[in-house]
Amino acid sequence: MAEYAKDYSLPELMAASVAREINDGELCFIGVGMPLMAATIAKFTHAPNFNMMVEYGAVGPSPRRLPMCVDCAVNNERAYYTGSQREVMGAQQNGYVDAGCISGAQIDKYGNLNSTGIGEYPNLRVRLAGSGGANDIASSASRTIIMMRQDGRNFVNKLDYITSPGHLDGPGAREKAGLVGGGPHVVVTTMGVYRFDNETREMYLEKIHPGVKLEDIKRSIQWDLAVSPNLIETEPPTVEQVMVMRTLDPLKVYLGNGREVLAGDFEAFMKMFEDSYWPMTELMKSKGM
Amino acid sequence: MKFEPIPIRKGKAKPPAYKIMTAKEAITQFIHDGCYLGMSVSAAPAALIWEIVRQRDRIKNLSLSITSQIGMSSALIGSDLVNKVEMAYNWGGIEGEDKVFRRAVEKGIPRPLEVEDYSNYGCAMRWEAASMGLDFMPVKSQLGSDIIKYNPRIKVIDDPYTGKPVALVPASSPDVGIMHCARADEIGNVQCYGLYGNTDLLARASKKVIVSVEEIVTTAEIRRMPNLTVIPYYYVDAVVHAPFGAHWRESNYYYHHDLAYGLDAYRQFATKEGFDAWADKYIHGTKDWDEYCKLVGYDRLNRLRLSESKYQKFGEVR
Repeated sequence: MAEYAKDYSLPELMAASVAREINDGELCFIGVGMPLMAATIAKFTHAPNFNMMVEYGAVGPSPRRLPMCVDCAVNNERAYYTGSQREVMGAQQNGYVDAGCISGAQIDKYGNLNSTGIGEYPNLRVRLAGSGGANDIASSASRTIIMMRQDGRNFVNKLDYITSPGHLDGPGAREKAGLVGGGPHVVVTTMGVYRFDNETREMYLEKIHPGVKLEDIKRSIQWDLAVSPNLIETEPPTVEQVMVMRTLDPLKVYLGNGREVLAGDFEAFMKMFEDSYWPMTELMKSKGM
Repeated sequence: MKFEPIPIRKGKAKPPAYKIMTAKEAITQFIHDGCYLGMSVSAAPAALIWEIVRQRDRIKNLSLSITSQIGMSSALIGSDLVNKVEMAYNWGGIEGEDKVFRRAVEKGIPRPLEVEDYSNYGCAMRWEAASMGLDFMPVKSQLGSDIIKYNPRIKVIDDPYTGKPVALVPASSPDVGIMHCARADEIGNVQCYGLYGNTDLLARASKKVIVSVEEIVTTAEIRRMPNLTVIPYYYVDAVVHAPFGAHWRESNYYYHHDLAYGLDAYRQFATKEGFDAWADKYIHGTKDWDEYCKLVGYDRLNRLRLSESKYQKFGEVR
């Protein structure tokens, strides 16, 4: 039995929950941001034979330091393949990818995601990043794992812009649109874990994070949320998961306010980036990776 | 019959001739006002982009063809050079929100920026089409999304063979493509280590190609491992020697991302004044890439290189 951590933060719970959605042996396409962190946790804990595909052309890396971006040099580390984006995107469109992991700014009950902007396109009030590879992952991965903040405003009835297709407007819509992937499977947020009903393709609450109240969740969602009759509390992160997170990201770049801490502090960055080498190397050996 | 033979028709191949020049020479020769510019992201051609910004009295209007860019396109947008960007992503990755991009799109500061949205694969397939001399490519991304709803240049048709819907993206053939790679010889055979994203496609899609590299090597060295050659000489117009030429981004197996610098730059990008001060110091305040490196500090750059080699060195598993 895995030993659970007693002391952990909400972002750590989220990252651990996403990591648990990845099964050993799978091939998963990992998007920019927190998903990179979650995937690395999975690889170094319960799923050493899970292989990540990274957007700019890497397959199967096991980085022993903070993965910073999808085009990052870190993604070459101990990889099986490095090369072109065409390879990984083509394989995904061709149905080879088990799961894709992405995040977004707004979501609706069918798991459609907006990462393009808030307001009326193209005259957006807030312009966001754009699709990047998120649309490609949402279109073609066999299932999509979504992680996002739940801030009371972003679980909406109608998205300002559908960047990444979920189940569109319900059963059969993806097939009709010509999409090859299976669409959203799970959403992990700062409040709980949601899945999608096989019949209606609608999101329902499956797990609630420790300390979060159901009424607060319902209040933060614009539609009338379906709740599983078997609602359970989210499993806490294990000691090992937390150890990996804190080894890779001790200053909480992904998991806290580390961006402010590190901005302009070269020494702190280099220390963080180099100190993870030995603990992660030992862990890697112990997992037979 | 006049017994005049059909004249010899030449292909588009660039000659196997000496192509090494400085960034200043290459940008001056190939990039003009109104240029449709393609840029690689992995690795990012920072040294070349800085030089474009230095020549902003001459190059006032650009439209960009990118897939994703992390900060580098914002150096151009913030410098008041860009009218339009065709893209999938323009944001900070781990550095977070890109305020330069937001100001341009939301408020027209320093000038209005038109955005044509695609997905990453959609953008890549636009270069792929051009790389093969085709006018479009079919792709199964973007279907059912608002990317297609708001971008009239993406057409959804019923595949004539299966009858199923498929999205067509138009070829993108930049006037000039700029990219940063590992090494090249003097005639422009370019090799990459590690992942290279769409650098291969961009070089093949662009009418003129400028490549900056970490190292210039002999042609004999290129011939030792020709499968590392991602861009053969016939696509390449100029080779620029720019060690650390992707800083603050990374160059695979040479050095990693300088996150402390990137986060600090993004903090300055929060205001127009902050961006201008950053550009004044790091771009206009340096006459070339070597001076930029001196300003950042070669000690610092060398530490990024040593740190990268702790984790991996090309040809070795650690």
